[in-house]
Amino acid sequence: MASSTITTTTLSDLPDVILSNICALVADTRARNSLSLVSRKFLALERSTRSHLTLRGNARDLHLLPGCFRSISHLDLSFLSPWGHSLLSSLPIDHQNLLALRLRLCFPSVSSLAVYARSPTSLELLLPQWPRIRHVKLVRWHQRASHIPLGGDFVSIFEHCGGSLESLDLSAFYHWTEDLPPVLLRYADVAARLTRLNLLTASFNEGYKSSEIVDITRACPNLTDFRVACTFDPRYFEFVGDETLSAVSTNCPKLTLLHMVDTAAALTSPRAVPGNDAGDSAVTVGTLVEFFSALPCLEELVLDVGRNVKQSGVALEALNSKCKKLRALKLGQFHGVCSATEWRLDGVALCGGLQSLSIKNSVDLSDMGLVAIGRGCCKLSKFEIQGCENVTVKGVRTMVTLLRKTLTDVRISCCKNLDATASLKAVEPIYDRIKKLHIDCVWSSLEEEGGVEETSHDDDEYERSQKRCKYSSDEALNGFCSEDRVWEKLEYLSLWISVGEFLTPLPMTGLHDCPNLEEIRIKIEGDCRGKRKPSEPELGLSCLALYPKLSKMQLDCGDTIGYALTAPPLQMDLSLWERFFLTGIGNLSLSELDYWPPQDRDVNQRSLSLPGAGLLQECLTLRKLFIHGTAHEHFMNFLLRIPNLRDVQLREDYYPAPENDMSTEMRVGSCSRFEDQLNSRNIID
Amino acid sequence: MGVVEEAHNVKVIGSGNKGTVVLGHGFGTDQSVWRHLVPHLVDEYRIVLYDNMGAGTTNPEYFDFDRYSTLEGFAFDLIAILEELNIESCIFVGHSLSAMVGVLASLHRPELFSKIVMVSASPRFVNDDDYEGGFDQEDIKQLFEAMQSNYKAWCLGFAPLVVGGDLDSAAVQEFSRTLFNMRPDIALSMAQTIFSSDMRQILPFVSVPCHIVQSSKDLAVPVSVAEYLHTNLGSESVVEVMSTEGHLPQLSSPATVTPVLLRHIRNDIAV
Repeated sequence: MASSTITTTTLSDLPDVILSNICALVADTRARNSLSLVSRKFLALERSTRSHLTLRGNARDLHLLPGCFRSISHLDLSFLSPWGHSLLSSLPIDHQNLLALRLRLCFPSVSSLAVYARSPTSLELLLPQWPRIRHVKLVRWHQRASHIPLGGDFVSIFEHCGGSLESLDLSAFYHWTEDLPPVLLRYADVAARLTRLNLLTASFNEGYKSSEIVDITRACPNLTDFRVACTFDPRYFEFVGDETLSAVSTNCPKLTLLHMVDTAAALTSPRAVPGNDAGDSAVTVGTLVEFFSALPCLEELVLDVGRNVKQSGVALEALNSKCKKLRALKLGQFHGVCSATEWRLDGVALCGGLQSLSIKNSVDLSDMGLVAIGRGCCKLSKFEIQGCENVTVKGVRTMVTLLRKTLTDVRISCCKNLDATASLKAVEPIYDRIKKLHIDCVWSSLEEEGGVEETSHDDDEYERSQKRCKYSSDEALNGFCSEDRVWEKLEYLSLWISVGEFLTPLPMTGLHDCPNLEEIRIKIEGDCRGKRKPSEPELGLSCLALYPKLSKMQLDCGDTIGYALTAPPLQMDLSLWERFFLTGIGNLSLSELDYWPPQDRDVNQRSLSLPGAGLLQECLTLRKLFIHGTAHEHFMNFLLRIPNLRDVQLREDYYPAPENDMSTEMRVGSCSRFEDQLNSRNIID
Repeated sequence: MGVVEEAHNVKVIGSGNKGTVVLGHGFGTDQSVWRHLVPHLVDEYRIVLYDNMGAGTTNPEYFDFDRYSTLEGFAFDLIAILEELNIESCIFVGHSLSAMVGVLASLHRPELFSKIVMVSASPRFVNDDDYEGGFDQEDIKQLFEAMQSNYKAWCLGFAPLVVGGDLDSAAVQEFSRTLFNMRPDIALSMAQTIFSSDMRQILPFVSVPCHIVQSSKDLAVPVSVAEYLHTNLGSESVVEVMSTEGHLPQLSSPATVTPVLLRHIRNDIAV
């Protein structure tokens, strides 16, 4: 018998067309890099199908740009080093033009551009290169220079890209609200074609005025995605009230995504819980109903009002009937969201199509309301609750149990009755399904049993609704979450912790076994000044070594305030606190770290101290490190000891970014020297 | 930009024509320590800001350990800056160690300085019989141990973790806080320079008028030091003790300090 050769079919036997389509769908950068190493053919395929690129490297090396990425449509130039400086402006003029041209030659098909525009000159150089740009994102954390004329930052965009511009993102761009409306007026035809406008700028104190919002929406009737920071406080000049909302819905009926966020509530003091005597907004239920009626295409809505919106239940029921496509909803300071006084569902519980719901600062939301929501919003996969004083572990746990089949993302913060233990108890019913979780690390004393004592009347109501619902609930509502739970699907954990508290109790509260936890975000907040030295020398980051797959961390001490150099006698200064926070970080095998150092507000300084640098250099497995602050050159040089470190940047992406040397910003020369040293090393992998 | 200008991050700002003011910072900080004072001087004077070698903002490779083993190294740097900028005469405002550096420089080149404003200055930090410098040998010993431990750790690739707040003496804590901002080897060298320097002998030879300004409660500089300086300086001098606390009053209490400094810069000593 003739022997038959066994042929195996491999991926490369597929026709090129199909292969190239497959390649185009691969999004992860590391996967693409691996792909390109397989063979020359795969390399060519990968290069010709890569569509998104973020350029890193020093701007003065732009002449070294690779020419192989011809298909890039989304180009991000905002991370070039030195970070935060006007692109190309330090070079002589004829060089600038040549480099801009080179950018066009290397990336001929750019349709979406992100750039750090410290002044309009970068845009004037870059935008003419790509007249068919559809989306522009501007980044600026530095102050807007006062010599720039009104609207000066935006004129280039509308002038050069007017033909195809659809989307403008100013969420990370410090500007004055008066800058935009005149430009939209002047280029009315371009404005009329805009479909996306993001004005949720983090640096605003008051946000866009009511009249400006009306003007903007009138100029851009085709908007489908509109996000704006404003103020709903009726005591302020040009607050957003009924008239504004009516105007928005009348002017832009095609909106599918709308975010209107109060600057005080969300940006300046995001965790503040207004008490019972918080003021009312100027938004009434009647207007809300009309507002919703006029926006039938809405899929995602955020109304983070910083003042009370009373009796909103009726409006929310209208929301359900008028906006049938609504999938995501966030409400800030809405009262009467779900009163659950009778057997029937009411308020937001009727919005059965919702997949994501976030309720913030609803002082009258009760456990009964939560249960109703659990029954009514049965497709919910993401649920967030913040600042609701009346909810307890019972309500949340019951709701979570009801939504067991769909819920995978839960965030609980600033709720008086839901400390860390209670929060974990509350999400325990989905311990094997939950993927993303946020809790506040508020530790109750270990003698307390979980939960809050309720009056017997509430208990009866609760029992009755339990029987009616006919589901089984865990009996053990007392005590801690069992340590036997394996949180198998948990990939992302977010924690908030007050300065001076420790992280060490975390595993004992029930989060002991998280085999797939990859990413963690820890925010430490508070005022260190006057605080005594903590009883233990470290926050307890080493306890996270329990989680075998943990590789990415964001450690945000940016809202921890203290003294850098001017601490009064015998008080701890920030170098001691930084040592407290970072001790033990070397025990975790992190590959990526974003770190925000604590700040000294009096001198606008967020800077790495000696122990900070020393402790960071102990993270020997780091590949990427981004410090959101400043650092001295010799401290940065400590980091050169980390063998595989390849991407490091100082990003002062907070407002206001330090303007000049009067704030010890790392000087351009120092930055370049450090990067040269970093890049000249041999990386093994 | 000249070599000296670039190495020291020299900045010249201000459009005023009442004269030139040169601001010298103390060890461990950098020119940003004057951030609250500068806006008030910008209209009247031409201001020169610079960073000392060893400051976190300069290239650590430029720190010459031999040159800076005494304060004279810094004095020569200052003179070099003044020469490169062609400054004929200036008002020098020096904080802490820089004040003494200014005094030293004026001994070599008295014509370059029309007056020296000394903020939190001291000719010698260690106590002596009859002289209260503010620091005991014991205190200093602990500080040196801390610096040496950091230095060793740094050399071996470990994390230098000791900071000023770990030391017992409140005076040393306060004074050395800024030292721990510097690279461990440079910080150790600076500490040695600082605590071995004794400028008392040269005070009688100073010919430039000196304005002595300090906090009433500076653990590192007792008020008696201001008196000592006033008594022993060869030139005319005046003392002002501000109701501030700490060794960096221009940062911790700018509202009190700025008017005082402005007054001393603008006005001369009445004979």
